[in-house]
Formats: sequence, structure tokens, C-alpha cells
Amino acid sequence: MISRVAEQCFWMARYLERVENTARVLEVNRTLLLDFHVPLEQQWRPLLIISGIHDYKGEVTAEAVQEYMTWERDNPFSVISSLFWARENARIIREVISGEMWERLNYYHLWMQGTAGRDAYDSNRHEFYSQVRRINQLLHGIADTTMSHGEAWEFFKLGTHLERASQTARIMDVKYHTLLARAEDIGTPVDNAHWVAILMSCSGYEPFHKKPRSAPIDPGTAVAEFLIYDEQFPRSIRWCLWECESAATAAAGNPVGRARTPVETRIAELLAWLDARTIHTIVRDGLHEALTHVVDTVHDVGEAVHSTFFAPEALVPRAAPATQSQNGSSQTQTLGTMTQTQG
Amino acid sequence: MTTTLSTPGLSRSLNGSAATVAKLFDNYSPHATAWDELFARGGDPHSHCTKLVERLGQLFLKEFHARRGSADMAFVNQGITFSVYSDRRGTEKIFPFDLIPRMIPAKEWADLEKGLVQRIKALNLFLQDVYNEQRILKEKVIPEDLVLGSKGFRKEMIGFTPPGGVYIHICGTDLIRDADGQFLVLEDNGRTPSGVSYVLENRAVMKKVFPQLFADIRVKRVEDYPQRLREALSSVTCNGANTPPNVVVLSPGQYNSAYFEHSFLARHMGVEMVFGPDLFVQDDTVYLKTTRGPQKVDVIYRRLDDDFLDPEAFRPDSLLGVPGLFKAYRAGNVTLANAVGTGVADDKAVYPYTEDMVRFYLKEEPLLKNVPTYICARPADLRYTLDHLEELVVKAVNESGGYGMLMGPSSTAAQRSEFAAKIKENPRNYIAQPVVTLSTCPTWTDEGTAPRHVDLRPYIISGKTTWVLPGGLTRTALTKGSLVVNSSQGGGSKDTWVVD
Repeated sequence: MISRVAEQCFWMARYLERVENTARVLEVNRTLLLDFHVPLEQQWRPLLIISGIHDYKGEVTAEAVQEYMTWERDNPFSVISSLFWARENARIIREVISGEMWERLNYYHLWMQGTAGRDAYDSNRHEFYSQVRRINQLLHGIADTTMSHGEAWEFFKLGTHLERASQTARIMDVKYHTLLARAEDIGTPVDNAHWVAILMSCSGYEPFHKKPRSAPIDPGTAVAEFLIYDEQFPRSIRWCLWECESAATAAAGNPVGRARTPVETRIAELLAWLDARTIHTIVRDGLHEALTHVVDTVHDVGEAVHSTFFAPEALVPRAAPATQSQNGSSQTQTLGTMTQTQG
Repeated sequence: MTTTLSTPGLSRSLNGSAATVAKLFDNYSPHATAWDELFARGGDPHSHCTKLVERLGQLFLKEFHARRGSADMAFVNQGITFSVYSDRRGTEKIFPFDLIPRMIPAKEWADLEKGLVQRIKALNLFLQDVYNEQRILKEKVIPEDLVLGSKGFRKEMIGFTPPGGVYIHICGTDLIRDADGQFLVLEDNGRTPSGVSYVLENRAVMKKVFPQLFADIRVKRVEDYPQRLREALSSVTCNGANTPPNVVVLSPGQYNSAYFEHSFLARHMGVEMVFGPDLFVQDDTVYLKTTRGPQKVDVIYRRLDDDFLDPEAFRPDSLLGVPGLFKAYRAGNVTLANAVGTGVADDKAVYPYTEDMVRFYLKEEPLLKNVPTYICARPADLRYTLDHLEELVVKAVNESGGYGMLMGPSSTAAQRSEFAAKIKENPRNYIAQPVVTLSTCPTWTDEGTAPRHVDLRPYIISGKTTWVLPGGLTRTALTKGSLVVNSSQGGGSKDTWVVD
């Protein structure tokens, strides 16, 4: 398929996943702060840090940050921006996604842009963020049952799970930035309550508790293990990477003896890195450092996806020495592909 | 996005009790002077329209409205829309569609078809000539400066013949019918004519809404167009082409007013629709960027003007095109449809000479006549035009879509003097024609069924052979008395039936 179409499908999925996860992070932070009093500066700034925002100039009050992360159009990571870009990507590939997907996505985009979304935000914050989370869930349901499960579908899956792996790591990191600073708090009821909140924000509360455990383990470590290593939970980092691996393999096609693409190699390396560790060694060496490694490597995988599938100019057998400049690789990964200028 | 539906007079007509008994043609009164496409002068339908008028004439208005409603919904739901540049809100509109078809008898159509094929042949030979030997200029059949000074003339094409010798693969020739019922050519669109998707969609909707009519009346099919186009393009392919040739549709992007049509054609031809950045050129070969690596492209049906095709060859600021494309084209490694430089053949100032081209190249008498035209570049014509502005239609030669024109009879004195100044400043840029009373067709309006002016754009496809889509796009003015039918000026369309 055309690289651009694959790219737009990939980014549509990433932006949709980002919409859901930004709502999750905002919600978990709100919950955490309900029963723990930390200095103002520590309450909401971490949320900006884990979203990769370092140039925020506004106040760091609850309202200001939520406003910025939800409604600010100039913030490329806000809910409204992510949804806008998901829709822009979808618009150009309407023939590739299903009509139902387009209609729903368009509907929620208009909901966010109009007064209905704002009213919901003002009247019931919790319900608003739940609704935002449901957008992506609904679209995945529609996609699964109405979109052709061909190559485009693999890029949709790849985008979804790559973004989700990174977002799960970021959600867990909220805990590091917000609270874990005080060693004596670890293992206290308050600490446990926060791990439960993180679990719930990942919809992992029940699956976590259903899991049989052989040895006693402190709740914090158990939750971290579950969210990183679980082999069945669809938001665990390992599970997401497995999905990425299978999507990348399917997208690259399966001729016998085909060399692995850089995408498959990078994913395999990250999985091997995780396999070489246990939750105990990770906690010992620093959970935050491990999560940072995950986020950085996922970023590298994204770069590899770009150079492998979206910028294939480099692969033409050359009759003469190269004179052609490569113009495809300069696009900003974090902001996706909507950089074409139309006249 | 707002979608504008035209439902003039719907509620009003339905409220009156008359609506329950009135039928579609009961109160129809034809235009006083124009040719009517369905009814002859005496008031009876033309013989080829008898069955249609009889069937549609049985429809109560209430039924007709129900069918109109379902036709409009079909367009809205499928997003069959166009954008209007002048509309600041950037709205997408549906092209208003009128359910009463325009009819052309097969015998008359056969003559038209011959005339169109003859004309496209001459235009093609003209292009071949002006970019090579320039015989027609040397023999002074057409003034040299008119051709070489045309905006559409591309000196970059001199000495190059496109694959298969075909320049205009797709032509949309605008025809009008005068008060005597004679078809005249209003203009040729030999660059990137649009509108064919409406022909196909209009037909699909008509078949949904009036299935029985199609069972009763034999209408020539239009559905083959996309495959015919693909075959034609595949028949004039380049060096080292794939088997079958790799054809793509190149669109300027989703904000273009005809974006729907680009994607429609690509889907129906079964080829990829691409944007400029999806293609790249290496070693004078054009490639498509795909997830499985680069793929050689053989034929590009481009819906992009020459200026924007290749920033290296033409406008350097174009972000829509493909750097190096023109060089690849000149190396014979890709087919562009239409060829670069066809604009010189549909230049409105060159248009008056098309009948001469037919005589010059084919040694035949032209089967299709032009509308008489005054060329302001000629001093005598200029004088006549300035003296008779009130009776003439004046057109800027490089504009399309109904922009930059003066309708003499309906203009104000101020508009005329403003236009006169423009003409004097740059006479080469203007032509003038007498106002032709365009034929009319019964059309549903605010006042019930009433005559509205129509034109006709047939589509001619040329590859190794030439094929004409039976019928074409009938555009209709929706305002009473208006002679401007362009969609960008508020016109609508009708299905066109070529019938035995």
C-alpha cells in the first residue's frame, strides 16, 4: 500500500490512543490528589513532564493544567489536538477506514469542538474523562468489525500498541514523579492506595486481582510487575510489544527467508531487555529508569517504522551515484504526518 | 461542514391540496424562444421523449417529492460534495441535482459523437504541430503570436512527442443548443476537465429512484467510463512499463474542490490515488512510495495544472508536485494525462480557430460549429466588441468556472465601463460572443416544473482509439432566466439520457 496511507493509518491510531491515555493520566492524577496533600508545584507539573512538555509557561494549578491538557489547541498533546489530528488523518484515508469509523470519529471531533463537550467538562469532570476514554474504545470496536483486516489494519494495530506501550509506561511514571520521593512512604496504606489508582486508570483492577500469585509481594511491586510483564493483560507493556511485533511482521509481508526489518529488530531487542530482568531487579535499579528506557526505545521503534515503511526512497536500486536528496525523513515523529501543504 | 440541500418550495407545494392531484408536467409552460429539450414547439413531447413524459407525467407531485428527498439523501450520505473557493466558510455543498432527465435521441447523438471525435483529432494534431513543425503558424492559418503568447503554451514541450502521440487523453467539450436546436461548441476543456463523477453518480441515483423508467426506456450506459479510461491510459504507456501498466491518479489534495472526484475515479478505475509527496523521481524514473518499497509508476492521470506539476520545471514554490517529474516525462519514462501544454489548445483566444484546424489538418468540413466569436486581439473585433457590449458575452480567455465574464444584456452601465477599461488595457485577454439563448429543460423549481437553461459536457477519452461517453454532464442554471450553469455559480445538474 502507499506509504502515506499506511502512515496516516498508523498516526490516526496513535492519536486516538493518545486521546484515551491523556484522559486516563488526567483522571489518575486527580484521583491521587484526592487523598494526598503534596505541595502545589508537585501536584500537576509531573503530568506535564511525563507528557514530554517542558516549555509550559502557565500556572501549575489543577484547573490550569487540566485546561491545558484537555482544551489547548496550541498544545499538540492535548485531548482536543490529538482528536483533531486523528480526524485529519482519517479524513484523507476515508476509503481505507470504514464509513462507520469516519462518521463516529467525526461525531466526537465535533462534540469536542462544540459546546456539548465543554458542558460535560464543566458539569462532571469524571464523567467527561470517561466519555473521552470511550471514544477510542468505541472506534476500536467499530474498526474491528467493519474495517478490512488487511495491511492498513496492521498499521492501525501497530500504531495503537506502540502508543499504548509508551503510555502505560508514562502512566506508571506519574507515581514516580508525584510521590515516591519519600522512601518512608513506600508500603504505607496511602502508597498502596495510589498503586490501586494507577491500576484502575489502566482498567487493570480486576484482572490484577484475579491473577494467582505464588509468593507474597508488596502491592506496589506487584502492580508494576502486572503492568510491565503480564502476558494476558492488553495494556501491559509486554503484551503491547508482542502485538507490535506481530503487526510489524504482518505489515512487512512473510516471504520465506526475509530479513527482519529494523522495526522487528528494535521491538525484539526491547522485549529481550525486559526478559533479561525481573520486576525485583527493575525496582532495585530504579523503576523510573526502566520506564524511561521503555519510552525512549518505543520512540526509536517509531523512527524505524518511519524509515522502513513510510520513506522507502532509500530502497531504489541506483543506476548512478546518488544525487537525490531524501526528503521523507525530516517529518516530526511526535506530531505525525499532517505536514502537507495544499494550495 | 454544512451541507446545503436545495428543496425549493417543498413545504409550500405540499400544503396546498393541489399537490395531491397535480402532476409533474400539468402546469409546465416552455420558454418563449429557447429550444426545449423535452417538448416540441406545439406542446407535445419530442418523439424520443414521449415515453419519459408519459411516465413522469403520471407522477403526483407528492410522489415526486418523496423521490427527490431520497435522491438528495443519497448524495449527502455518500458525501458527494464540492467546495466553493469563494465561500469563506469553506463549506462543502452537494451539487444540486434535478430528477427530470435531459434526453438526446441516439441518431442525433451519433452525429454529435462524430463531430466530437473529429474535433479532438484536430486538436491533437494541432498540439503535435505547434510543439514541432508549427506548420499551421507558418502557413498563417492562426496568428503566431496568439499561439506562442498563450499562457497555455509550454516552450518546454517543443520537440517532444508524448507516448502514443496523444496529448488530450480526456477532453470535456462544452456544447450548447441554440434556439433552432443546433448544437454549438462553447469551449473545449483540454487540461483537466472535471465533472464526470457526477455523470456516474447521477445515473446511479436515478437508477435507485426510478428503476422502472430504466426498464421501460433503453438508456445508453455510462458506467463503463472508469474502465474505458483505464484502458485508454494503459494503451499509451511509456518506456519500461509494468504489465499491466501501473496507473495512478494524482490529486492536489483533500482540500481541492474536486477531491471527491479524484478519489471516486481512482476507486472506480481500481488504481491508487496519490498526492505529490507520495511520488519521487530517481534516474528519470517515477516511483510510488509503498510500504513494500518503491514501485515504478507508468501513467499518471494528473488532476493538477501544469504550473504545479514539478517545482524543478515550472513553479518553484509548488509543494503539490513531484520534483524531477517533467524530466522523467521528457525522457519518455512516464505518461502524463493530459500531456503538458494542452492549455494552448483550449485557450479561449485560440478557440475561434478550431474549425480552421479541422479543415487544415483533416481536409474535412467541421461537423460541429463554434459559437461566432470576436477576438479582441483583432482591432476590428475589438472595436465591435466595445461598441456592442450590451449584446455580448465577454470572457477573459484564461479564466474558467464562470469567473471573469460579463453578461452584456444583464449588466449595468457601471459594470460595462469597468469591463471596457479592462478590455482596452489587455485586448489579448478577451473574446466576445453574441448571447446564445441556451436550450431549456423542464426542471423542478420554486414555481413548480419550469424551463431552465442547460448545457452539455460530453467526455471524450483518447488512447490508441477515441471513445465518447454517451451523453455527458448536463448542467442546469437554477435561477430563472440565468444562462450561467457552472456549479461554482450555483448551477445544478441532470442525468443525460441517450435513447433510441
